[in-house]
Amino acid sequence: MSKTRTQARNLQPPKKTILTRKNGSKLVDFLFVLPALVFLAIFTYYPVAKLVQISFTDWNLLKPTWEYVGLKNWKWLFAGSGAKYLWNSLKVTFLYSMGEILVTIVGGMIFALLFNRATRGFTLMRAVVFVPKYVAMSSCAVVFLWILNTDYGVLNYLLGLMGIEPIDWLNQESTALLSVLITTCWRVIGYGMMIYLAAMKGISSQYYEASAIDGANKTQQFFGITLPLLAPTTVFLLVTTFLSSMKVFQSVDILTSGGPARSTEVFVYLIYRYAMVDFRMDRAATSAVMFFVILLVITVATMKVSDNNVNYDS
Amino acid sequence: MPKNTLIDHHEKHSAGYHVQTIVVVLITIVMFFPLYWMIATSLKSAEESQLIIPTMYPHEFHPENYVNVMTRANFSKYYLNTIIMTAGIMLLQIGLGTLAAYGFAFGKYPGRNITFYIVLGAMMIPIQVTFIPIYIMCAGWGLVNTFLGLILPDAISAYYIFMMRNSFLSVDQSYIDAGYMDGLGRLGVIWNVLLPMCKSTLFTVLLVTFSNGWNAYFWPKIIASDEPRRVLTIGLAFLKNTFAGQAVANQHEIMAGAVLAVLPLVILFMCFQKYMMTGYSKAAMK
Repeated sequence: MSKTRTQARNLQPPKKTILTRKNGSKLVDFLFVLPALVFLAIFTYYPVAKLVQISFTDWNLLKPTWEYVGLKNWKWLFAGSGAKYLWNSLKVTFLYSMGEILVTIVGGMIFALLFNRATRGFTLMRAVVFVPKYVAMSSCAVVFLWILNTDYGVLNYLLGLMGIEPIDWLNQESTALLSVLITTCWRVIGYGMMIYLAAMKGISSQYYEASAIDGANKTQQFFGITLPLLAPTTVFLLVTTFLSSMKVFQSVDILTSGGPARSTEVFVYLIYRYAMVDFRMDRAATSAVMFFVILLVITVATMKVSDNNVNYDS
Repeated sequence: MPKNTLIDHHEKHSAGYHVQTIVVVLITIVMFFPLYWMIATSLKSAEESQLIIPTMYPHEFHPENYVNVMTRANFSKYYLNTIIMTAGIMLLQIGLGTLAAYGFAFGKYPGRNITFYIVLGAMMIPIQVTFIPIYIMCAGWGLVNTFLGLILPDAISAYYIFMMRNSFLSVDQSYIDAGYMDGLGRLGVIWNVLLPMCKSTLFTVLLVTFSNGWNAYFWPKIIASDEPRRVLTIGLAFLKNTFAGQAVANQHEIMAGAVLAVLPLVILFMCFQKYMMTGYSKAAMK
């Protein structure tokens, strides 16, 4: 039946539209991907090239002309007065990143073990813990700005009930980054938990039954079965969290604006400050190229790790 | 369900079981508190919100805080701006992205793999790296504080193309052939065969795209921080900045703004929790 139908169709003169498969050429196939490629060329690849170019100029928005200055910006960034800000922001970003990874993976894992019970109450409580993930970072940040407020914040009030002196959370160097991390922690820990719970569901109960017969206790089961079988999930969380945490900006911008004394000046904030506050496009571009290289190294490194470290079953 | 309750009734729970329950309930209370505090503060009066000893719940209800934020702080405008920006980004990402996904999945032109790697490579270059040249370009085209400036740099999502291409490839070839045989063109096949068969992936990807657009902060802050094109996230940050000198005087209204900014998203995602979770866990499994 289908054969006769095909023949019948073939007898008809081909349609004149360009977009039918039979008349179409390779060119038409290419036209489908062309708009995407054009946009990416303009808004992703050209800017990277432009960035490298700007890093060799003295472009800033306060004067009308610019010229090439060779490696001046690079020297300034690594050896000149810019160096201490560069290392400071690298240190801050790295600390923040480690904090977010730790919270997502270790905190998420602990939460997953605690909340792993199939009752209605627990389902509801899981949802409550997960909801912050949907709360926009900007709302998150203003809420914690309020909770952490030194004089009127509810956290200092509650700590006061326990006899702890008020802490100037956001305005002293020792606690500012911690405050940013607390905000992030609230938002991501439920996400880590949900990812782990979903992965735990995929582990066959036979493993646990068999090991129980062999006399393994809960701790042994966790380290012998659960943890190794969750390794791909852990690697996934590690890779994605690492990359996203390197790009942190919003919470810092709203909570501390990089202060006090640059103690929360993460890398993106550094670039932002050079470009949009100091209008030094040359320095901003140089830092941005540097940032791009760092991201690239992390991506390649983590891809290597995840290639070596996954696939127990698939 | 009945089976479980039966077991629960008969089993004698160990002490550890109850300790676990208590710990979990305490954690839940702590995790819920910031949300509760946001809502509670948003309903207080200015005076009540700045008491040295805070009241744990609003003693007097002031829902007019929300009205104030919508009208006086112009949140209704920010809402509209956010909707227009998000809709624009989604339309372009879906339209151009679907075409590209088809081309990368079934196209026969030479160099297809290279062009696909170009798209994948773009995933490694975030706007936080490239914003300076893009800003300079947009400024040159007069796109500062415009919707086009907000939307265009985000018109292509490599993530969307990648996900949809994989999804298209998983569709059985015979359905696609059948589509062509019935006289459909490429666009017809995409619309009538591929998209309907990839509905669940499409939906998950759309939710992600939507929340990315709605919560966008970095680029909107760079390109459109002035009042006429301010989006909710930026408006909220400015609500705080405007009253920075008297940081606490306005907390009740800032919290009302925060609630308004997150409400649509939280409701949406509560409704589609199942979809989101399968999306997340699928991503984790791969």
